[in-house]
Amino acid sequence: MALTGRTPLLAAIGAVVVGLVASPAGIGVVVAVLLLGVVIDVVLAGSPRALRFSRAGATSVRLGEQADVVLHIENPGRRVRGVLRDAWQPSAGAVADRHRIDVGAGQRASVTTVLRPTRRGDRQAVRVTVRSVGPLGLAARQCSHEVPWAVRALPPFESRKHLPSRLARLQQLDGRQAVLIRGQGTEFDSLREYVVGDDVRSIDWRASARAADVMVRTWRPERDRRILIVLDTSRTSAGRVGDVPRLDAAMDAALLLATIASHAGDRVDLVAYDRRVKAAVSGMSSGDLLPPLVNAMAPVEPSLVELDARGMVAEVLRRVRQRSLVVLLTGLDAAPIEHGLLPVLSSLTSRHELLVAGIADPRVADMAAGRGDAQTVYEAAAAERTTAERRHATTLLARHGVSVVDATPDRLPPALADRYLALKSEGRL
Amino acid sequence: MTAGSTQVSPDTRRVWLAARGPLAMLLVIVAAAIVLTLMRGHSEGGALDPRSAAPNGSRALAQVLGDYGVDVRPMHTLATASRAAHGATVLVTHPNTLDPADVKRLSTIAESLVLIAPNQRLARAVDSDIDVTGQAAETTHAPECALADAAGDATTGGVGYRTPNGELCYPTEAGASLVRYDDGTPVTLLGTATPLTNEALDEAGNAALTMRLLGERERLVWYVPSPTDPTLRDGSASLLSLLPSGWRYGIATLAIAAVLLALWRARRLGPVVTEPLPVVVHAAETTEGRAQLYRRVGAADHAAEALRDAARHRIAASAGLTADAGPVAVVAVASRGGRSPDEVHWLLYGPAPSDDAALVRLATELDRLENEVRQA
Repeated sequence: MALTGRTPLLAAIGAVVVGLVASPAGIGVVVAVLLLGVVIDVVLAGSPRALRFSRAGATSVRLGEQADVVLHIENPGRRVRGVLRDAWQPSAGAVADRHRIDVGAGQRASVTTVLRPTRRGDRQAVRVTVRSVGPLGLAARQCSHEVPWAVRALPPFESRKHLPSRLARLQQLDGRQAVLIRGQGTEFDSLREYVVGDDVRSIDWRASARAADVMVRTWRPERDRRILIVLDTSRTSAGRVGDVPRLDAAMDAALLLATIASHAGDRVDLVAYDRRVKAAVSGMSSGDLLPPLVNAMAPVEPSLVELDARGMVAEVLRRVRQRSLVVLLTGLDAAPIEHGLLPVLSSLTSRHELLVAGIADPRVADMAAGRGDAQTVYEAAAAERTTAERRHATTLLARHGVSVVDATPDRLPPALADRYLALKSEGRL
Repeated sequence: MTAGSTQVSPDTRRVWLAARGPLAMLLVIVAAAIVLTLMRGHSEGGALDPRSAAPNGSRALAQVLGDYGVDVRPMHTLATASRAAHGATVLVTHPNTLDPADVKRLSTIAESLVLIAPNQRLARAVDSDIDVTGQAAETTHAPECALADAAGDATTGGVGYRTPNGELCYPTEAGASLVRYDDGTPVTLLGTATPLTNEALDEAGNAALTMRLLGERERLVWYVPSPTDPTLRDGSASLLSLLPSGWRYGIATLAIAAVLLALWRARRLGPVVTEPLPVVVHAAETTEGRAQLYRRVGAADHAAEALRDAARHRIAASAGLTADAGPVAVVAVASRGGRSPDEVHWLLYGPAPSDDAALVRLATELDRLENEVRQA
């Protein structure tokens, strides 16, 4: 049961009347009238308990965009008139979760709740509460229903703006634009006529002898290489850079890399790991890679545990047997790299090509540029110290034959894609 | 999914099941309170109240006086006490809460006035020559005056008085404990309330003394000043009492409206929804923490080394040197900006700055050096 604003308003008007009449009996009359009205309303209001609900609408939405979820109401009883609240988690970002409803006896109605999720992951509907107001509008009956629904907020993939330029570069690599690259890991593509500027070493003398012209061989990078993207979801991935966790930046970079690699004809697998596998995608064909990838990433949250580097290496070795490019997206903090990863690195680098992508914090660069008073200079010194430690970790990794990309979240996706393209053009995959 | 069982609000039966335990407990508490109150019997009022059966109350005395035909009238406001004072003995149990002028007026209306332990200000209202001479221990004293000789020894003491005008009884080391001053109306000042209390009435000659003092007239106005008496307050009348009576009912109805308003606003449309919050750790937190530590311990040497190391690294990198290039090579590169090698060496490898100011200067100089090298 619930009262409406009319009840106190009526009581206030009653107060004026009682004041003018100046009789203590007036109080009793006012109370009796209100009580009678409330009882009539509660008895005659349509039962919110009897309502039946079902849902339809969006089940996933890219973070930053909006989703509409429809709630169907079926009223088998008396007319229900009042307010409905479709409660969602705050991070589901329901734009307006209160709806006026008026469902006649035996009729149906539907309300649409617009969601604009503020956080990645599965956003749940919590409860539907209906307040059915009586005919006098003095009191209402109220009841809550559990009508489950979840909308999965997918990673926004903001770095897709870098996609066209990198795909263009990939086409150049493919030799489709008459640029020749030759090296290990490239395969014979076709023969064509020599033009000035071609590498003379690529002239195919036997073919030239048969033809009337000088023929050169063209090469293209090998296809169907394997790439395993490893997302580190341990404590260092929880650290916020700007207002998003490092993990979200890592996902953005991973999505760009995966898209480009699948365009290049390589096979991409993904595994998210801290002390156990949090999410994994494998064996997907290049055409429909993106949906399962974002779906697998969406519910993954950083956890406050140290990365189990030994377990991670074992997991990687178990998943890919042929020589692959393993891309580890992590924080590149000095201690976890030096004490966790380095001791177990050799078993990985001996069999696979390892690329470590570190997500740097632009705040550190800002601090390093600070001058003026003692406070900012101390901050600058601490920032330089952090930078030196990252540099040291990078050097140690490079010494093990690991290539490292260390960039801020906005620069990391293109930088990682570029490094991948470079590795591919060098035929190191 | 259109099952009829989606509703989750508690129905009447579940509300009853949940509420019956607390309700039963409440019932037991109320019943126990009623039984206890009935068992303890009727008792009310505070110290010296003629209806109070507590040790510091005075019901015993009031009943004894009543048995001897004295009409005891308990009063709680000055107005009613003044109205009933005519031709009666007036006992003021706590005169210090009253205004001296009111006491003076009471003394003119009443046939006889008894004040319990008035302070000097009050006592002077009836006898301008009286002095409060001190505080004596409350024990049994001898009367030593005609007024109280018949009563004999009594538990007196408390406030002691001295006056040239009246009759002084029960002398103590701090003055007389009982003073009667007769200026048309006999006014009696008693230094202590102890003889009147239920606890001490049967000791020594207390009963005789108090009967003598209070039983002189047929009527006794027993005035216990009450803090809620509006005439005792400066504002004299409360806001409510200024209203016409009709609007008092209006305000009562308005209070009901306020309660209804609270009920309307208090009822939530469904429960509060909780959010499983993510961990919020800023990635730069450790760096900021280190900066605070540097500052707190004044580690200018460590800070300078970090800044110099970074500058050396950048200068070496600008010339394509590796990080482990020796001082000689780095200084040579850095000297391209135009500074002397000695100065550059001092900047990049010199002694640690002694204080914060020197550190700030060093940081600026390193910036300048890097700029010069970059432009050279």
